[in-house]
Amino acid sequence: MISEEQQDQAALYALGLLDADEDAAFELELRTSAELRDLVRELREAGGDVALTAPSLLPPASLKQRIMGEIALETKRVVPMPTQRASFGWIPWAIAAALAVFCGLLALDRVRLERQLAQIRAVDPLMQTTFYTLAPSAPAPADAKATVAWQPGRQSGVIRISNLPAPQPGKDYQLWAVDAEHKDPISAGVVRVDKNGVAQIRFKPVEKAEHVKAFAISLEREGGVPKKEGPILLVGST
Amino acid sequence: MAETSTAQQMLDQEMIARIGRRDQSAFSALYDRLSGPLYSLAMKMLGDPGEAQDALQDVFLQIWSRAATYDPEQSSVFSWTVLLTRSRVIDRLRARGRRSRVVVASTEDTLTGAADASTVESAADTVEKNDEAVRVRDVLNNLPSEQREAIELAFFEHLSHHEIAARLGQPLGTVKARIRRGLLKLRQRLKNL
Repeated sequence: MISEEQQDQAALYALGLLDADEDAAFELELRTSAELRDLVRELREAGGDVALTAPSLLPPASLKQRIMGEIALETKRVVPMPTQRASFGWIPWAIAAALAVFCGLLALDRVRLERQLAQIRAVDPLMQTTFYTLAPSAPAPADAKATVAWQPGRQSGVIRISNLPAPQPGKDYQLWAVDAEHKDPISAGVVRVDKNGVAQIRFKPVEKAEHVKAFAISLEREGGVPKKEGPILLVGST
Repeated sequence: MAETSTAQQMLDQEMIARIGRRDQSAFSALYDRLSGPLYSLAMKMLGDPGEAQDALQDVFLQIWSRAATYDPEQSSVFSWTVLLTRSRVIDRLRARGRRSRVVVASTEDTLTGAADASTVESAADTVEKNDEAVRVRDVLNNLPSEQREAIELAFFEHLSHHEIAARLGQPLGTVKARIRRGLLKLRQRLKNL
């Protein structure tokens, strides 16, 4: 069952009106609710319908020529595979050379694809978010879980925790980003669950974390610690 | 598109799949089918033919490079391209440092007088598409005016819900509910046609 508030958020999300924090939080909800995903799809289609009410115009024919020219040019940039030559004694060397060229082409292609991916990530908010699923490790309850929506470009994220009972007095849960370029986990702050063991919190690591491999939650002294001391309760990668 | 048949949606998806395999003829066909509505949207939001054409070029080059990432579970091809277009247009509006100059026109307007005659769609080859647009406009016009107004401000002027609430002098919750109810009603009524 989708609440009215969720429906409101879904409508704003479908029209791209949520701010970054709201957007990330809503995407977390989307991951766990097929019903909500269906609603967003319907609302997106409604958005498509609204677009049709713009006064009808056609672009000039020259625009199509321009665009077709661009993609033809891009297609031509892909160098064809070397053709096989007549069979002589030096063929193995030719094959080796061809393979070297091919590997070079693959490397170039990889660079091109990486550039394209970066461009896509720059314009598509969904592509800028990485999701991490955190699973429990002893002594956390077996049904405790957490999901993190992490936006590296913004160096911030949203974590949603469920089924994690409040810690004993004098203790707090603390979130950590495990980054490939940092020796120790980076603190992303204390997270407090409600009486139902649920939390949804926006966080920002205290240091820049550009290559996050995993997120983890540990049990620490009240108020948190600069460097992890306590046991890990939840941990997970992408 | 609400009135787009399942067959048309399958055709669109097939075209996108072929574009993902670098099929230029499929790209050309999809351009012919969608450039009109997408250009119309860009014009309505930007109000400048040159900028609208540049935005449309960006969108179609994105379609060419991103066709393989299209996910039919998330939206129809048409709605996906509308999302891409709005995104590119909004980037341009932000770059301009101002909101769209274009006041949301009455949805009764079917053609703008300012449009160059050569850019106005020929009725002969777009009868079906115009029929769709007419149906959607009818349904949109029959929504409660406050819902229609909120949707148009959000969609074409890309005002945030906070900005819409300020402009209309209404509480934020009321504005959110108007957008949500209006969109759901629009979708439902178009489905029932």
